[in-house]
Amino acid sequence: MIRAAAVLAIFLLASPAHALVVRDMLGRDVSLTAPPARIVSLVPSVTETAFALGGEARLVGVSDFCDWPPAARAKPRVGGMINPSLEAIVALKPDLVVGTDEGNREETFLQLRRLGIPVYVVHARRVAEMYELITRVGELTGRTDAVAPLVGGIRRRIEAVRERVSGLPAPRVLYVLWPDPLLVPGRDSHLTEMIELAGGHSITAAEPVSYVRFSIEAAVARAPEVIVLADHSSGASTAGRAAPEKWQTLTSVPAIRAGRLYSVDLSILHRYGPRVPEGLEILARMIHPEAFK
Amino acid sequence: MNDARRLVSVLAALAVVLLALGVAALFVGSAGLSPAAVARALAGRAEASSVEAIVTLSLRLPRVAVAVLAGGALAVAGVGFQALTRNPLAEPSVLGVSSGAAFGVVLAQILGLQAGIVAALGVAVFAFAGALLAASVVYLVATAPGGLAVQTLLLAGVIVGIFFSAAITVIISLVDFNRLSGVIHWLLGNLAPIPAASLALFAALAAGGIWLILTRARELNLLALGEEAASQLGVDAERLKRQVFIAAALLTGTVVAFTGPIGFVGLIVPHVLRGLVGHDNRLLVPTSALAGGAFLLAADTLARNVVAPAELSVGVITAFCGAPFFVWVLRTRSRPA
Repeated sequence: MIRAAAVLAIFLLASPAHALVVRDMLGRDVSLTAPPARIVSLVPSVTETAFALGGEARLVGVSDFCDWPPAARAKPRVGGMINPSLEAIVALKPDLVVGTDEGNREETFLQLRRLGIPVYVVHARRVAEMYELITRVGELTGRTDAVAPLVGGIRRRIEAVRERVSGLPAPRVLYVLWPDPLLVPGRDSHLTEMIELAGGHSITAAEPVSYVRFSIEAAVARAPEVIVLADHSSGASTAGRAAPEKWQTLTSVPAIRAGRLYSVDLSILHRYGPRVPEGLEILARMIHPEAFK
Repeated sequence: MNDARRLVSVLAALAVVLLALGVAALFVGSAGLSPAAVARALAGRAEASSVEAIVTLSLRLPRVAVAVLAGGALAVAGVGFQALTRNPLAEPSVLGVSSGAAFGVVLAQILGLQAGIVAALGVAVFAFAGALLAASVVYLVATAPGGLAVQTLLLAGVIVGIFFSAAITVIISLVDFNRLSGVIHWLLGNLAPIPAASLALFAALAAGGIWLILTRARELNLLALGEEAASQLGVDAERLKRQVFIAAALLTGTVVAFTGPIGFVGLIVPHVLRGLVGHDNRLLVPTSALAGGAFLLAADTLARNVVAPAELSVGVITAFCGAPFFVWVLRTRSRPA
């Protein structure tokens, strides 16, 4: 009886202004007055997911890096992932800002919360977490119905790739995130999982962090059979171009001798969103061309 | 008397410029507010949760305050270091003192000091310690045998700066890669609106440092005649140097703790002012405090508007102004007699 009264008291005392509390992917509580209707996304993969779910009407602003699908470019921009303009965000009157723990700054989240804007942080390093991300974005954009078909489609395409490469010997793969200084994915990077799903073995899979500055000597010594270069260049900019010619001189490397040096558009493979199967299929064709004949 | 009148008129003119810049800065920004909306917010007639109130009062106003404080503190730190070393090129970033302070801040962040007023004080203490350490090393290196040569001091500063930059690189390559870009962004020097309590702390520390140097301005004038001459005129040169040294390190450390390392303000501002008010430190310190604030405010207003809605680091703009300025001063003013 007393307990029931206490529960009722707590219920009555709870501010009606914060009727809705959701937990973000870092386990932090986010108080909302109502289901969000005006969302600013600072995360390209969240933007892609919102569009794929048909929830883009609730996106009122995106980061400068949210360039997919093409319609995302028409949304108001709020600046980069590291240095978005707080002013531009506030001016869009968002009731929620979605950020990521991989690419945004914690300071930005602090400043937004201080201004009374709730921040929802996503976290995805694994395919399983990507499904979770899609589910969360579905909830936030009010498109929960669209989650199962999208996730189902992605699962089927990933499964199809796995079936094709299963039983094939896994070649040693060097994935080059950035050529100079050499930056490679380690154990906690989603790229390592992607390479494994595509039937390869990343030669830097055992490195204990997500991204590693790696010695070119060590990379050569591990004799990769396939080298995949991430192409960072976009549009007119040639900065971060894959530059395969720099690798051609390393003729002792099996991948170079066999002519198995590839480059891949970074934005497809590096974003944890609906284009993951597409990226996986591209990667699998590079690692196991024989399975896709 | 003449000096006092001159000081008042220059200070009044600078205050007008600062005020005009401050008002202008409140009216521009990527939110694209109409002047009427900004005026409504400033007059307190906008609803607290409205876009104009939040942008004007919670984003632009504190950022203007940070710019004025940081610019004033850096310029006075420059005056302090210049008087101390009798070198017109001495300045927190050139002397490597900013790098020392930045090392302190990065260390504090690694130790987990993030947000809140206590943490802000902790970061400021680390930054001050780093600034003091770097400044001491520069001083010891440059004074060792036979006095302070202009070039030796600058080279010592460059070397100490390189050393602390390397130390920062070591620390950040040990932390999570995902935080790297954030740290690099911070190292470029960025102004951001900070909460009221931290702003008050910033103001108190900056005011303390400026006051320390201001009250020693007369003695610093005597020091300019040479240590021996100053001693004969009753100045305890060692004590004076120690005090000004600590005050300049405090100013540098405080600014770095709250904004990141921003270079060259302490070089440009006092130098331009010497052309206007002369070499008297009693005029130079207060005018530098105002003009430094105005300069950094102008630079930051530019930084947050040229590539809007993205933002440039204000440290990039001051460096673009400061590096050519440094060369010019080096070529024209510090030629050995």
